[in-house]
Amino acid sequence: MEEKKVTSFLDKLKEKAQKQTNYGGETEITDAQMNLRDCPNCGAGRAKQDGVTHCAYCGFEFIQVKLTDGFYIKKEDNSI
Amino acid sequence: MFGFNKQKNEETEIPEWNAELHESKERWFTFLEKLEAKMEELATAAIPELKQLLQEDEDLYKRTFHRVLAGINGQLNNIREKARDTYEQKIDSLYYDLNAQVSVLSPHHDLLSDFRTACSDRYHKDFEGKFDYWSSQIEKTQERDLEIEYQKILNEFENIKDKFSCKQCGGNITIDKIFLIETYIPCPYCKSQNTFAPSTQARMLQNIARGLAEQRTVHLYEAFETENNKERELYHQRHELSLSKIHEKDSKVLNDIKTKMDQLETDRQNAIENAPKLYQAYLRAMYDEWNKITPDLKEHNEKMYQNQLQYK
Repeated sequence: MEEKKVTSFLDKLKEKAQKQTNYGGETEITDAQMNLRDCPNCGAGRAKQDGVTHCAYCGFEFIQVKLTDGFYIKKEDNSI
Repeated sequence: MFGFNKQKNEETEIPEWNAELHESKERWFTFLEKLEAKMEELATAAIPELKQLLQEDEDLYKRTFHRVLAGINGQLNNIREKARDTYEQKIDSLYYDLNAQVSVLSPHHDLLSDFRTACSDRYHKDFEGKFDYWSSQIEKTQERDLEIEYQKILNEFENIKDKFSCKQCGGNITIDKIFLIETYIPCPYCKSQNTFAPSTQARMLQNIARGLAEQRTVHLYEAFETENNKERELYHQRHELSLSKIHEKDSKVLNDIKTKMDQLETDRQNAIENAPKLYQAYLRAMYDEWNKITPDLKEHNEKMYQNQLQYK
């Protein structure tokens, strides 16, 4: 009798835990990927040496903020 | 005559409340036995289930497993609370009740204190000891070998690092390290700015890095723990010796004891001095290992290390 109670408690607990949805929705599991954004205005590629905030050819604004020193991006990456 | 006989009777006669004490004690002991059996039954049934669940849980953060774990811990704590409440209601209150009626000078007061000591020891030592044992066994089910997960991430990185090419010119792009977030990678040929998005698995590296570093340096932590516990052990050993001295008259034996006590004190002082050093050695090794796993987080980790040094 007692044995039964514990297993049924565990089963119920497991069932409830599995049914519960996670805060923030389902997690998406993705593989590594590579993307590239070229200028939607003139179609020119975006090169690091010209800076990453504006298109070097037509001046299209890719990023509105002024970049500060981060880990992978440095403030030199701002377009002039 | 003069009431002398009456007083004598009072001294020898076992008071009637003794039966009540006896009964309460018996009941308390059986109650705790039942709770202990329940606790054991719950834990022995839950531990294999939890281990299996951890293996099977597909969630990235093993959230299903943790929910079940929390539920079982809650159940275990319910049992503990039941014991605590009953102790307060049945044992403590009875003790205080009688304590107010029976004088400390009464020859029967011992019965009362013995009752309390017996009940308290049964509860605080035996029952709580078992609770600690089972809850630590349940806690242990969440340990998993992070080396395996780390190896998977490394293998994945080996597989993908030369796989990508520039979206603009098609030139090969080599990923030179495990990135934890999206990163710009310029094409070595046309200098176009490609955005590399690491896989979910690779991103998880920052979540397991510390655990893995701790797992790798656990021997150092254990060395610290052993040294740290020595202080209390040596103190108690010395205390035992100091008690054995009280009725000793022989000066030779006394001298012997004194030498032993001095030695214990020296050892104890050494342990006090050594323990923090061992902790620092562990901490440095752990952070070094951590930095090796995620070099990108080094700057941040070092700040944390400096902080942690101050608080120990």
